[in-house]
Amino acid sequence: MNGVDRSGPPPAGPLRPFRAPPIERRVVAADIPLFVVRIPRLPVVTAALVLRGAGETAAAPGEEGRASLTADALDGGTKRRSGTALAEALEAVGADASVSAGWDSTTASVSSPADRWGEGLDLLAEMVLAPGFPADEVDRSRDQALARVQQRSKDPSALAADRSAALFYADGERYARPLQGTDESLRALDRGSLASWAEARYRPGSAGLVVVGDVDADEVERVAGSILAGWEGAAPVPPAPLGRGRFPDRGVHVIHRPGSVQSELRLGHPGAARGIPDHAELVVANSILGGTFGSRLNMNLRETRGFTYGVRSNFAFRRGPGPFTVSTAVDTAVTAEAVSEAVKEVERYHRDGPTDDEVRSARDYIAGVFPLRLETTGRVAGRVSELFVHELPDDDWTELRERIRGVERAAAHTAIRRHVHPERLTVVVVGDADAVSGDLEALDLGPVTVHDR
Amino acid sequence: MSGVDEGLGFPIHRTTLSNGLRVVAAPDPSFPVVAINLWYGVGSKDERPGRTGFAHLFEHMMFQGSAHVSKNGHFEHVERAGGSLNGSTWFDRTNYYETLPAHQLDLGLWLESDRMGFMVEAMTQEKLDNQRDVVKNEKRQRYDNQPYGDWDEHLQQLMWPSDHPYHHTVIGSMEDLDAASLDDVAAFFRTYYVPNNAVLTVAGDAPPEAVFAAAERWFGELPRGEDPPPVPGRVDVGAVIGSTRRTDLDRDVPLPRLVVGLRIPPFTDPRFEAVDLAAQILGQGRGSRLYRSLVREQRIARTASAFALPLTAGGSTLLVFVTGYPETDLDALQAALFAEFDAMAEVTDAEVERARVLAAAREVRSLESMAHRADLLSMYTTIFDDPGRLNTTLSRIDAVRTEQVRAVARDFLGADNRAVVAYRPEGGAR
Repeated sequence: MNGVDRSGPPPAGPLRPFRAPPIERRVVAADIPLFVVRIPRLPVVTAALVLRGAGETAAAPGEEGRASLTADALDGGTKRRSGTALAEALEAVGADASVSAGWDSTTASVSSPADRWGEGLDLLAEMVLAPGFPADEVDRSRDQALARVQQRSKDPSALAADRSAALFYADGERYARPLQGTDESLRALDRGSLASWAEARYRPGSAGLVVVGDVDADEVERVAGSILAGWEGAAPVPPAPLGRGRFPDRGVHVIHRPGSVQSELRLGHPGAARGIPDHAELVVANSILGGTFGSRLNMNLRETRGFTYGVRSNFAFRRGPGPFTVSTAVDTAVTAEAVSEAVKEVERYHRDGPTDDEVRSARDYIAGVFPLRLETTGRVAGRVSELFVHELPDDDWTELRERIRGVERAAAHTAIRRHVHPERLTVVVVGDADAVSGDLEALDLGPVTVHDR
Repeated sequence: MSGVDEGLGFPIHRTTLSNGLRVVAAPDPSFPVVAINLWYGVGSKDERPGRTGFAHLFEHMMFQGSAHVSKNGHFEHVERAGGSLNGSTWFDRTNYYETLPAHQLDLGLWLESDRMGFMVEAMTQEKLDNQRDVVKNEKRQRYDNQPYGDWDEHLQQLMWPSDHPYHHTVIGSMEDLDAASLDDVAAFFRTYYVPNNAVLTVAGDAPPEAVFAAAERWFGELPRGEDPPPVPGRVDVGAVIGSTRRTDLDRDVPLPRLVVGLRIPPFTDPRFEAVDLAAQILGQGRGSRLYRSLVREQRIARTASAFALPLTAGGSTLLVFVTGYPETDLDALQAALFAEFDAMAEVTDAEVERARVLAAAREVRSLESMAHRADLLSMYTTIFDDPGRLNTTLSRIDAVRTEQVRAVARDFLGADNRAVVAYRPEGGAR
């Protein structure tokens, strides 16, 4: 034995400085803001074209999924090449491209070897600026999307997410409907609706370009400027959804899935938008409730009681108030007990707030993992895109870590009291109603309603 | 030349402590984190009959505290330090890893060495019962309550003889888990969790001499164990399955799906890179043959993918997933899929060239993650005794010739080597 002291954690060495790498801002082509972050660690570049006028919230009621389906169909080919020729052209430069629509934007991104990033961006721009939408490829994309809807209906976790959103939000609220549309809304879309969406919404007026990796900002400005030259027009950014809730009071909803060996649980209500002034405080506060392995919810439901493989609480930060949700899957036999424990944890936390020690620990965790989350060019591009989509000031990039470090116990408690409402929790259980309803009735969490799957 | 073609040239250093622990240091000061990664040379392949699932249950127990670390102390210390961590169990190995701010290297090594040296004394029946419940819920969540959740159980039984270590799944059987006792935990620990059956890698902002000194400080005093026993059962099997086999399952699934397993040479075989590229050409991305043919042209599949698993016990598996549409006929889908297998024997130079470029680019991109880099280094050291293999990955990809891809396609994609698990939606179309 060499006598090393194992009795407690060893002292840490000197803290290494970390600063988020600087963002160089330029403007290219039709006044498109360009954000370049130079990270020369590996010969890799990620470029993301962010279209703020083309998020799902820009689609009209009844057209849910129009943004997503259009984004999906871009792989079907361009005005110059077929879908297969496009895929081969990307492969030949070692590039992976993807286009996806979220609530607040459509993002087209491509990762390429550093010496071929311009070719990668050129192909990406061809997809977005000159989509072909061949009829058979559009039909295929729609069939794929419809099959995905069908798959979600059988996947307990996806089903729970969709049904809880529909129950958390009022009728007419976009967030009540699935991001990527429903069977009905997708069937109503055709080639014309995709082409007109791209024509109207893929416009530079509300677009931004983010380029991250082993590149030089001057070169990016020159190359991107030439690739995007001639792209014109504007697509308005839609107003942020209000996100009004459906129920003023508590209630329990069982989505009947006969024979389920587990119950998927979702407890929540409309939450908070990304742009709230107390974002940092809320992130710290939620981390303590259910954001980490060591959180209150996970310690209780997993480590003390063995009810579940894991439980989380989460705020979905969007331009409007996305849901606050506690999510887990538990053994059918302990469904009601697990719901009861989860509600009690939320109530207790709401009433008493975190301890100083918990706040210190959460701050250290979030500030510490901050650099880890900026490890890849893709992640940095995602974070910079977030600044652009939510119109956040640059100091949200440079100062967020310090802001997190400054969160105090009282402020974290205030954020929870402001954004979490235990008396309004809607409880959604996807499971065997025959097995779980009786016990749920006995909980006194409001009326229990059973719904068909 | 492309930047990715010039070789990787990561500095890699290694040493072996007197107790047999192999230590790899991969310094990279460009980012202030360290990725700590431990591979133990034990997985589900080492489990005995009646104890399936035990390697994975044991992995859970490794987070339940050790002599100087409380239950869940591992998570608390790492999260508090601003790190992320986890572990995973697979067929051939169990890994444990944490990524920490670089100044917390000693914290990570304290935690890892405490459980390598002093785990058993902290075990209690209560902890075992609790984690058994957690694992059962993991199985319910990830397998039993999931559409298609039982594919691997059926596929492994079709692909491997009953005495082969890949015949049973990593998650194992719940009856076996019920039978597991504290004595099993202690015996498993003494047998497999010894320094001479482990590799420790530290990648990131730490100089190699500091890594080696810290490794000696924390792990040096742990005693070497016996050499672990050979893998139980029969590892040597034929190069191919021997026939086309199929299990049909009527299940509450949304869409018809085929899961196909083909026996391929083990990860250590020189043909593995060619198999890997064949899998990519067959079923990775929108330029792949399955996407082009089944998804885009014939439109009988919603998705299709193929990839080769890097397994070592006498053989490995090339996995193919094809999901149809509600009206897709499973036999027609299988026929179309098999036609693509057959056609792989005529793969073209242009396809192989594209596949090489894309594979190299993806490999470089994956190395952006320090944790992934550390995991690969542990893997190459465990399996090849050569962490430097990381730096030659691109040249190995680049060396694959069209004729080699055709040869592996002929040898391993044939009708004598296909195991199929077919999911038919209950009450749906045939």
